[in-house]
Amino acid sequence: MTKGAADWLQELQNLGIETPLRIMNVCGGHERSISSAGLRTIIPANVELVPGPGCPVCICPEEDVYEAIQLALNEDIVLVAFGDMLRVPVNVPRREPRSLEQAKAAGADIRPIASPTEAVRIASEDPTRTVVFFAAGFETTTAPVASMLAEGVPDNLLVLLSGRLTWPAVAMLLNSGKPGFDALVAPGHVATVMGPEEWEFVVADHDIPAAVAGFTPDSLLAAMYSVMRQLRDGRHFLDNCYPQVVRPGGNEEARRQLDAVMEVVDANWRGIGIIPKSGFALREAYAAHDARKRFTSYADASRKRVGEMPPGCDCAKVVLGKIYPNQCRLYGRGCTPRKPIGPCMVSDEGACRIWWSSGMRENEWAGREKDTVNG
Amino acid sequence: MCLAVPMKITAINGFQCTCEAKGIEREVSLFMLQHEDVGPGDHVLVHVGYAIQKVSSQEAAESWALFDEVLAEL
Repeated sequence: MTKGAADWLQELQNLGIETPLRIMNVCGGHERSISSAGLRTIIPANVELVPGPGCPVCICPEEDVYEAIQLALNEDIVLVAFGDMLRVPVNVPRREPRSLEQAKAAGADIRPIASPTEAVRIASEDPTRTVVFFAAGFETTTAPVASMLAEGVPDNLLVLLSGRLTWPAVAMLLNSGKPGFDALVAPGHVATVMGPEEWEFVVADHDIPAAVAGFTPDSLLAAMYSVMRQLRDGRHFLDNCYPQVVRPGGNEEARRQLDAVMEVVDANWRGIGIIPKSGFALREAYAAHDARKRFTSYADASRKRVGEMPPGCDCAKVVLGKIYPNQCRLYGRGCTPRKPIGPCMVSDEGACRIWWSSGMRENEWAGREKDTVNG
Repeated sequence: MCLAVPMKITAINGFQCTCEAKGIEREVSLFMLQHEDVGPGDHVLVHVGYAIQKVSSQEAAESWALFDEVLAEL
């Protein structure tokens, strides 16, 4: 008989930990489960659950979105992208399209897709047109893109890749000396593909307790119990609270395909900067399908200077868990899911959008120009 | 975007299969699971049209109970 959420909650209270404790999650799916199940209101008051870097749309470099918009506007191509990407705003003069959605309204052929297999189908149906697949995502989403290329795609299908790895952002926070959390709940579906071992560095190098969790409230509470007990006992290790799905080594075939098609490179994160070995790039063997090699004139290096979050938007601090979503001055004021200003309010994985759709309406920005939570 | 949902395989044709969940059918690629022995009736975790792992029917049922709550909210 497995334990349910109520049992784990009781166990968690029985630990009797009274010191303030911050547990970070790095997955939009985790944050959505935590918010929709209301876990923050039922766990002990001294425990904070901090949403960290868990939204690939939010950190997709502004210059990559700009490049996709310019390609779609100026070349005779079909641009396809996961639906979340279409509303991500870029910083441009008022008269220019500021998202793929606006570029589409201006006449560009831009289509939302739900799967890489749709990109293959669209390219197969009309071999005379070039199809560019703008693919942003973390490991779970980038692995299927690699799988698509490994299986073989039509000559007219190119990929504008903006894939990222999750763990290097956590490593960057830990190496900063001010990580802002005492324990980590590691992402279950990233670990399903890549293996839980990716997260061992959190314990081995930083002595921070960690547990891989699934997406049900009981799996998340089990992970919280695990890391809190590790802290109480002073014995830290990487726990796996999602063993039904997360196996040692992950999905080895998926990792093999990922490695065959892509290499790991230093990569830019919107509002955050370059994180070493945190991005995917197509290997030379797949250069014929690399949109960046076919269309070289759209990568505008000068944009990297303006490639930040929109003015006034604190998405970068939200992504790094430095503030909570409603501690941004724009939250619920200028920025709502209907009229989003920052990417964290656009994406279903963005912490701002998740908090808003879970009913959090109060803005707690107190006019302070500092990292409120970490102080 | 990293959330995968469990579905039941109803038919297989090479690396392509048809999956079902909640009365909805989807074409799903098994290319990332080509090392696994999967067949009709098995459950797989599906993300952006790709099966990323084989799962038990119990895990599938538990996950769907959660998604019902999340989807009701969206």
